[in-house]
Amino acid sequence: MNVLEIKDLMVFYENAVAINNLAITCRKGEITGLFGANSAGKSSLMYTISGIILDEQKKERMKGGQRITVLGEVLYNGENIIGMEPSQRARNGIVLCPERRRIFKESSVMENLRIGGILATRAQARETLAYVFDLFPVLKKLRKREGGFLSGGEQQMLAIGRALMAQPTLLLLDEPLLGLSPVIEEMLSAAISSINRETGISVLVAEQYARPILPIIHQGYVMENGGVVLEGTADVLMDNPDVKSAYFGM
Amino acid sequence: MDTFERRKKRLDRSITVRCRGLYALNSWREMLFLLAPRLLLIVGLLAMPLFLDMYWQRVMCAAGIYALLALGFDFLAEYVGLVCLGGAMFIGVGGYISGVLNAYFGLPPLVTIPIATIGGAAISTLILSPCLRLRGIYFAIVSFMLPLFGVYLIIALGIFGSTEGISALDTLPNIWVEQYVIIIMVLISLFVVRRLVNEDLGLILRGIKDNDQAVRASGIDITAYRIRAVFIAALMGCFGGAYLSHLYGWLGLSLFAMDFSILPIAATVMGGMGTLAGPVIGAIFLTPMSEALRGFGQLRVVLYSVVLLGFILYRPEGILRYLDRKYHQFERWEKV
Repeated sequence: MNVLEIKDLMVFYENAVAINNLAITCRKGEITGLFGANSAGKSSLMYTISGIILDEQKKERMKGGQRITVLGEVLYNGENIIGMEPSQRARNGIVLCPERRRIFKESSVMENLRIGGILATRAQARETLAYVFDLFPVLKKLRKREGGFLSGGEQQMLAIGRALMAQPTLLLLDEPLLGLSPVIEEMLSAAISSINRETGISVLVAEQYARPILPIIHQGYVMENGGVVLEGTADVLMDNPDVKSAYFGM
Repeated sequence: MDTFERRKKRLDRSITVRCRGLYALNSWREMLFLLAPRLLLIVGLLAMPLFLDMYWQRVMCAAGIYALLALGFDFLAEYVGLVCLGGAMFIGVGGYISGVLNAYFGLPPLVTIPIATIGGAAISTLILSPCLRLRGIYFAIVSFMLPLFGVYLIIALGIFGSTEGISALDTLPNIWVEQYVIIIMVLISLFVVRRLVNEDLGLILRGIKDNDQAVRASGIDITAYRIRAVFIAALMGCFGGAYLSHLYGWLGLSLFAMDFSILPIAATVMGGMGTLAGPVIGAIFLTPMSEALRGFGQLRVVLYSVVLLGFILYRPEGILRYLDRKYHQFERWEKV
């Protein structure tokens, strides 16, 4: 069963192609990895799935800037959602944990998590909050601290926690390991894996740095210039000589 | 392929592409392509007075003042990141300096206008300089309050004619001088500011708008540059004020009226934020429009607002950006 299926997706920024004839699928209850260098189109894809791109489109149109064109199909549980408002998508369970974390800097950790849980029922929020604190015990200690004063790793944990509070069925993680130390990287990828295992949330994780993520994924895609150049299970990807040289330096 | 699979592709006209290089110098046709819009503006503005009657000539003088203010607003907002609602302060300070020099010391307008322009800009900058550390809405609020400050200072101290104002100032010799002074001033300011924002100074100012910490980290004193930018905008505003007091031969508290702060913003939105020429064009459209709507009495403001709202909602890029695109690009359908 596929929770997300993307067919013939094309995204243009004015005349430049950001995503070119892309097709990927995410299976329910699995972690799907998305690897690629800068400008491969990972973030554009994340924006397209979460619907943020519609917002960007509107903003650019207001400014008279570049026009963003999105064509193709994004099927979420079999339903095409390409024109759906981002807020509606979040309500339906597609939750983006954005690149560079974008936490609310002037709100405390607790407030950040509560903002994330605004769509959840009281019971769900309480349960998820306990789960997040269980997953990231550091956050519990820093409950009162303002988001802007957290370290990079703590901010990333908070961002993931906030996304979890929104009760996702498909969690989109855009570069969750950006700029973090190896220890935190290991810890976060273990956390992502256990989120998937314990709650059954399907996860799509886009990352440049594949080494810590590759072991935890079920299925992966390698992107280049807006298209998929390689797909398969973690083993297939790891055995591929190109991936080895590009991502492992072997 | 169904209709879904098409998109409108925008392409630069081949002549635009060629004109970006030095090739433009090789062909009259290409030079004309580049010069035509600029010439249209210059010649259009210079020739305009010849086709207007006395009343509309006066209106266009006022439009010129608004154009200068709008140019200053656009420059500060889009290139420096300071949203300055203090247009009325520039007008008031410039107007009062030149008026007072003329009425109390008997200096002719030829002397008072330059003194008021430079002196007024210096004073306005001095008044605004403590708030230059502020950003965004805070600077806007402070600059919006300052004209009120001027009004009540004059009323409270009973100076410069207090609420009565000062009348019987020297006016400019005749309507033609009046018009061409402001038109030429608008054109000079426009092209000087346009040049300036592409020089090093403009580069730094835009950097400050984007990320002031990064500019500071490059060893640049951002406050000093902001002061310069405010001074440039104040020069244009104070000239407008000085000119205004000699245009009507009268000065009063209405020089600090809110119109001078608000209308330039409307003109900027209408003409296109950040285009510099756009606000000038916007002011030249908006001022006569608000005059023409005078017949509607109080409804005037409503109609005026509706036009503005329409622009913000349906053509938010502004007139100039839209025209520029149509001039330089063409569109064609393309199969994906």
